[in-house]
Amino acid sequence: MARVPCTHCHLEFDESVMITEEENGKALHFCCKGCQGVYHLLKEEGLDTFYDKLGNQTLEPADRTREKKEDLERFDLEGFHKKYVRSTPEGLNEIHLIIEGIHCSACVWLNEKVLHQTPGVIEASINYSNNKAKVVWDPEQIRLSKIIETIRNIGYNAYPYDPALQEERAVKVRNDYYSRILVGVFATMNIMWIAIAQYAGYFTGMEKGHKNILNIAEFILATPTLFYSGWIFFRGAWYGLKNRFVNMDLLVAAGATLAYLYSIYAMITLEGEVYFDSVTMIITFVLVGKYLEVLSKRQAVDTLDKILGSMPTEATVVKDGEKALVSIENIEPGDLVELKPGEKVAVDGILRQGSALFDESPLTGESEPILKQEGDEILSGTVCLDSVVRYDATKRADESLLHQITELLGDAVTKKPRIEQLANVISGYFSVTILSIALLTFAGWLWHSGSFETALIVAISVIVIACPCALGLATPMATLMGISRAAKRGILFKEAAQLETMAKCDLLALDKTGTVTEGRPSVVSFQSFEGFDPKLLLSLVSGSNHPVSRGVARYLRERYPELRTLELENYKEIQAQGVRARYRDKEIAGGNAALMEALAVPVEVESRETLFLFAVDGKISAVIELRDRLKEGAFEAIATIKALGVKVVMLTGDHEAAAERIAMEAGIEESYARLLPQDKAELIDRFHDEGHRVVMAGDGINDAIALARSDIAIAMGSGADIAIEVSDVVLLEDRPADLADAFLVSRRTFRTVKQNLGFSILYNTVAVPLAVLGYVNPLVAALSMSLSSLFVVGNSMRIKLGVRNEE
Amino acid sequence: MSDSIMALMLGVSTFLGALGLIALLWGLRSGQFDDQAKFLDGARFDGEEELKDAVMMEKKKKEALEKKKKETAKKDYRPAD
Repeated sequence: MARVPCTHCHLEFDESVMITEEENGKALHFCCKGCQGVYHLLKEEGLDTFYDKLGNQTLEPADRTREKKEDLERFDLEGFHKKYVRSTPEGLNEIHLIIEGIHCSACVWLNEKVLHQTPGVIEASINYSNNKAKVVWDPEQIRLSKIIETIRNIGYNAYPYDPALQEERAVKVRNDYYSRILVGVFATMNIMWIAIAQYAGYFTGMEKGHKNILNIAEFILATPTLFYSGWIFFRGAWYGLKNRFVNMDLLVAAGATLAYLYSIYAMITLEGEVYFDSVTMIITFVLVGKYLEVLSKRQAVDTLDKILGSMPTEATVVKDGEKALVSIENIEPGDLVELKPGEKVAVDGILRQGSALFDESPLTGESEPILKQEGDEILSGTVCLDSVVRYDATKRADESLLHQITELLGDAVTKKPRIEQLANVISGYFSVTILSIALLTFAGWLWHSGSFETALIVAISVIVIACPCALGLATPMATLMGISRAAKRGILFKEAAQLETMAKCDLLALDKTGTVTEGRPSVVSFQSFEGFDPKLLLSLVSGSNHPVSRGVARYLRERYPELRTLELENYKEIQAQGVRARYRDKEIAGGNAALMEALAVPVEVESRETLFLFAVDGKISAVIELRDRLKEGAFEAIATIKALGVKVVMLTGDHEAAAERIAMEAGIEESYARLLPQDKAELIDRFHDEGHRVVMAGDGINDAIALARSDIAIAMGSGADIAIEVSDVVLLEDRPADLADAFLVSRRTFRTVKQNLGFSILYNTVAVPLAVLGYVNPLVAALSMSLSSLFVVGNSMRIKLGVRNEE
Repeated sequence: MSDSIMALMLGVSTFLGALGLIALLWGLRSGQFDDQAKFLDGARFDGEEELKDAVMMEKKKKEALEKKKKETAKKDYRPAD
């Protein structure tokens, strides 16, 4: 049968299953009612040019079930408005939405177009890159639920997010820096070529009139740079002074301002040289460095919004025998909540009726579903897998686990206090030293020469020569080399400074599942008896989604690549036990010992591993042992890391026995089991209190808080988005060997940084006294500057060469 | 080279550069670079109809604001004693 594309979503299906209709002699095919509805809606509204814009792109089929009316009501509830809707000064309402289902620019066009045509919508703009939309509407003309309904009618879905949660602020800060840098770069570029003329004139002689014009041009360019671009430093210096500490900002601000003031004096009196070029360059270079810091903070925010957006916003509450969809903010402790298969738990509670398998992997990262029975605790964020159950809410939504996790994450993302404090302390000492030296120089020269002017020039040259430009290259150059070397191995450091921090760490905390182990049970022993038919077993296990079944299926497919599955009858999954079915006249069953016991099949096997038994007609036909295996090279990598003097511990949500076994295999002496996400984070804090600097490696949402709390967070490339976002280092290949490599590269880089810094300090200890004594003239300064920079660059190159030699 | 010509050249070139800078800053401030895709798609897709749409939205906003103004004016109105 021919496959034809759906007229709306362009996905291809067999012609026989399509809804077909005719329009102006042209046959139209639709894969579902939803697509058909959307197509006609667009046609009626005159929006069918959408399909021209769409080109060959495909869409998700439009989902009719989204048009449930009762769910729309929550958008008009007061609580919802309080949380998400803001009033503009003009008295209009404004909301930020995430639009689901946007694939291409034509989707953006369609959504905007439809919203624009909706009466009462005043403004609608959608950002293609993150699918976020801002909608402004007049509450007297249209209700929000109607707007959401409109979006749903054309096959998309929208849910709100709270922009006050950093997003907007982060974008604002970024744009602010960006404008300031633009101004700085513009001024610096222009001042450079003016300065070249100035320098040429200094050595070959220049008419006073020419020099004056160049001075004025430089002044005009330097002024906005100092006061607009440099405003950040003035602000930083002021905050620092208010809190009684001296920081790098003060040094930069003081140096630039003094140079600027003196240059104005020189410009007016036509005596001496102006230093406007130094002013703009110092400000611009240091500002770019600061901007890079700000950039790295931003990324985590988007993912956080996604997690919050996927949080359930309503749940079915049963009251007096009647079910009602209630927004989760209105669920009180004691309410009876109903959960259907596939639903995410919204509030914590205790199971009252029924039993079901729960997927706790979003919280614990452990792959095996857990059977919960009456009286068991249910945590928000977990997913009910297979039955309808009812449970009593024990907490309000904002006290529940999932909410607390996201709150903690929000905090952790915005601040990494330890590192920043340290950086502040170091730069504080440096700044204080330089500023006091400059002050003493000024006093000394004033007393010695009696000339205020000379004293000021010398003091300024001290500050200018010590400004971060010279020292500044030492660290970034080495880290740049380290980063590019690591990146070649698939180790991505998100921020240069992390290399340095990582080199200083002395404790590595590893998550078990997915980091040390493969994260899925695989077959370690396979024993079959007479009459074993792999086809039967494969047919049985491939019907189940349980990780153990999947492990067995994977094994069978690898061993017998040609295997086909058979049609089974009476297929039944038994919770936490296994599966059973019928094939022709054979009764087959596969599962754990409990299942066999229930089926009265005699079992005489015992194992420390996860056991999967396969029985045909009441007789065991195969015994399979499965285990979550250690990743390849994990033992060697951990040994290498331990040899560097780093303590290695393992954190896991799994039970003690499994944790101990894996720890032993991997050569880890210390392991902590049965940890919830917060417990992991608390442990990281404890390590901090014990004086350790902690590297944490993990891969799941359950590790996210701990990752965010640690000094250096390493995520596996295949891990959850949020884990990758909050981490500082990402291992693209998931190899434990890369973990050891990351340590090696960081330590080598740090050693180079120390050499570079040592040299720069040496340079400063020579150059600053010379400046103090008044010997620094522009030629000497320029030469020594570039020579010292060359030395630093050359030394940093050794990171690449050195590692190549090692290999 | 005379002083005035040098001043003129410096002045004009810096001024023109500054104009470009201001345009760039304005674009940044008004969010034109927030979504790179939109920036390009505008060039690809936007035609007369989109322009009309933009005008329509502005009109809509103006009307809504005027209505609001009138209403607040009505509310503020108090008959003389």
